[in-house]
Amino acid sequence: MIKIEKRNDVSRSIYFLTPILAIFLTLIGGGIIFYILGFSPIEALKFFFITPISDLYGLSELLVKATPLCLIAIGLSFCFKSNNWNIGAEGQLIFGGIVGGGVALLFYNHDGYYVLPIIILSGAVGGMLFAMIPAILKTYFNTNEILVSLMLVYVAKLLLDYLVVGPWSNPEGFNFPETRQFSESARMPILFDGLRIHAGIFITLITVFLSWLILYKTYLGFQIKVSGLSLKTAKYAGFKGKTMIIIVFMISGACAGLAGVGEITGPIGQLHRNISPDYGFTAIIVAFLGRLNPVGIIFASLVVALTYLGAETAQIFLQVPKYTGQVFQGMILFFLLGSDYLLFFKIKFLGLRKNEL
Amino acid sequence: MNTKLKVSEISKIYPGCIANDKVSLEFGSGKIYALLGENGAGKSTLVKILSGVVKPDEGEVFLNNESIKLNSPLDAKKNNIGMVFQHFNLFETLSVFENLSIDSDKKDEELRALIKDILKKYNFKIDLDIPVLNLSAGQKQKVEIIRCLIRNPKVLIMDEPTSVLTEQETDDLFISLKQFSKDGILIIYITHKLKEVLSLCDEVAVMRKGKVVSVSNTIDEKIESLANKMVGENLNTIKKKINNFKNSEEILKISNLNFKSDDPYETNLNNLNLSLKKGECLGIAGISGNGQNELFQILSGEIITEGTSIMFRNKEISKLNPRERREYLMAFSPEDRISQAAVPELKIYENVALNNFKSSNFFEKGLVNEKKIKEHSKKILSNFSVNTDNVELKSQFLSGGNLQKLIIGRELITSPELLVCFNPTWGLDVGAINYIHETLIQINEHGKSSILISTDNDELLKLSDRICVIYKGKLSKIMNADTVTAEKLGILMGGGSID
Repeated sequence: MIKIEKRNDVSRSIYFLTPILAIFLTLIGGGIIFYILGFSPIEALKFFFITPISDLYGLSELLVKATPLCLIAIGLSFCFKSNNWNIGAEGQLIFGGIVGGGVALLFYNHDGYYVLPIIILSGAVGGMLFAMIPAILKTYFNTNEILVSLMLVYVAKLLLDYLVVGPWSNPEGFNFPETRQFSESARMPILFDGLRIHAGIFITLITVFLSWLILYKTYLGFQIKVSGLSLKTAKYAGFKGKTMIIIVFMISGACAGLAGVGEITGPIGQLHRNISPDYGFTAIIVAFLGRLNPVGIIFASLVVALTYLGAETAQIFLQVPKYTGQVFQGMILFFLLGSDYLLFFKIKFLGLRKNEL
Repeated sequence: MNTKLKVSEISKIYPGCIANDKVSLEFGSGKIYALLGENGAGKSTLVKILSGVVKPDEGEVFLNNESIKLNSPLDAKKNNIGMVFQHFNLFETLSVFENLSIDSDKKDEELRALIKDILKKYNFKIDLDIPVLNLSAGQKQKVEIIRCLIRNPKVLIMDEPTSVLTEQETDDLFISLKQFSKDGILIIYITHKLKEVLSLCDEVAVMRKGKVVSVSNTIDEKIESLANKMVGENLNTIKKKINNFKNSEEILKISNLNFKSDDPYETNLNNLNLSLKKGECLGIAGISGNGQNELFQILSGEIITEGTSIMFRNKEISKLNPRERREYLMAFSPEDRISQAAVPELKIYENVALNNFKSSNFFEKGLVNEKKIKEHSKKILSNFSVNTDNVELKSQFLSGGNLQKLIIGRELITSPELLVCFNPTWGLDVGAINYIHETLIQINEHGKSSILISTDNDELLKLSDRICVIYKGKLSKIMNADTVTAEKLGILMGGGSID
């Protein structure tokens, strides 16, 4: 007989160590997959995880990818900690990008230090407003935020499609589905010549710090924590449940919007159909791999960003599709959930009693 | 077909709670048996053991003198024990027939013919091809019953079956149950409704605190005798000194309290009116599930009802949430201390911070004042003799008694004018019960008022100045505690009336 029991106390250090175990198991799993595909596992993993970051350009690319992932995941941690399942960060990112991009096009050929802050702010507001849709529908009409936020991703994607093909397409762009290149004053400052790493990383770091402050040092953070653990208690303590749901969605949406506007004003420099390689969805993995903890999320975003880079290198050197990156992201989540299960539950093997045979 | 079911010396111990303590009972077909008891008396555990959901730590179950093993619900099915749970296990969007065919290994045509026979035999009128969500609660229950009947049950267990039924549906159910019984099915009927026991059942077993306290024929019982057996009748405890509050200041006045719920598992409240004087303890008795939960939440502000007036110290507070009510010096100790009054995963000081209001200064300008909260928590731990001084301890490591002391302490250390508590000593050991009782008497002596909603009559008679009974969402008249006896409470709790 096998019996599954909940463990009473889970050691805090092991709780934060299991993500590392999950990453280790992912490496083994990835090695096995490469072996089956006919590659030497060690070589392939080296191409995947070491080659991409063995030079300065690679490190810069790692940070370029980690910047939006970390930012979105931090926002999501507010939602997830309080039991609000915002799955639509991708949509909020795109909508933030649309609003920010629209403002950037509005300021086309404008110079001035004020242009970029206005664009960034409008991107954040855009993401925030877009995230408020599932929040308000949830609080006032009892809809399921998972479905609504997820479906809104496709709304945002199609809206972006329409805009870059139709009204916002570059008049000199030979009907390519893209807008004009934003003017120089609408672009994130590049930190080092020749590298793509941009000032967006500071926005991310400041957000991480503010999030830590809010989550652990403020009344709002306390309310989020209690609501996440027991809604009944939150109600009993008199927390304004509806307001809180809307606030966490606003924070989460603003972060995703910032990530979107960071992408289009940073590495991309215009709007086109694919402004995000599913950062909004991948950030869900980042948030959980980082244990919804601001510092954990920084590390998790670096690890997951590496799978993006690794997939590109592997595509070039091993001729495997870049979707292997998603395979690795999937494996990380799989092993994390698996080790979490064993962390929170223990499996007891009971001998069969004689009379049961 | 003669069926005999016997449970012998069944014990089941959960951490901190003996759910079943050497329970032995015998049942035979042709009769309807009532298993009567309060919430937490252990009847659900016993039923779960019989249906294979829970395994007993000790004891055996015999069916027709043969010991049977019930390791899973499947074993119960194999042994022809059918069970209808209080909450239905139906797929709302599937049709009635689809719901019934899911766990049947019969061919569709065969099954349909069988169901038709059952419908005809017991005069059930249900369309097999409409989705379950279009059925009324009574019809859904019939679907569950049919599911059992398909398997030719020897034993049919009904768990609180009337809680979601209308009176007409209840009557129909009773007719069917009597018919099943005639057809040789042994019926075990779990309830805390006394009238149903008397009108339906032949024999009644009463459980209290995990033990069977009495087995008798229902002919020999009355509502009040059963009520007393359910809640305990040893009244040799010291009563609180009853005071006369005629000239005291009125602190709380509730008028026209009405509550109508969309949830069929909740109780509607009907035109409740009550008032409370300074220093007084008002006891509200009743068998659980008669609206106590809803009343508590309305008093605490977790539920806001329209059209109700709650005047507290001459201020209208009916629209305020629990936190705002605390500003006016109200305090609340809910029944569910483990997952509502406190969060087990939180540290003691974090749980203390739940009772937060402006003047507590736990959160200044939106920031957590951890030092202040910890100092405050230390004070609670020592003033209310909680057996730890470590405010960083997660509250899941406190025993029930210590957790309750912490909660009562948290609520009382701010010297509230009114404490509303709901089953404050439920499941605690004698020492902790005495401590809580002394504390509750003390606050009245200091001129603070309290409302004690409890299902424990001993406790109510010991602590209250005035007592009333809640039955089906209605309050009885409020009586002075010195004129109240356990017998009177018993009658009112069962829905009867006195003088």
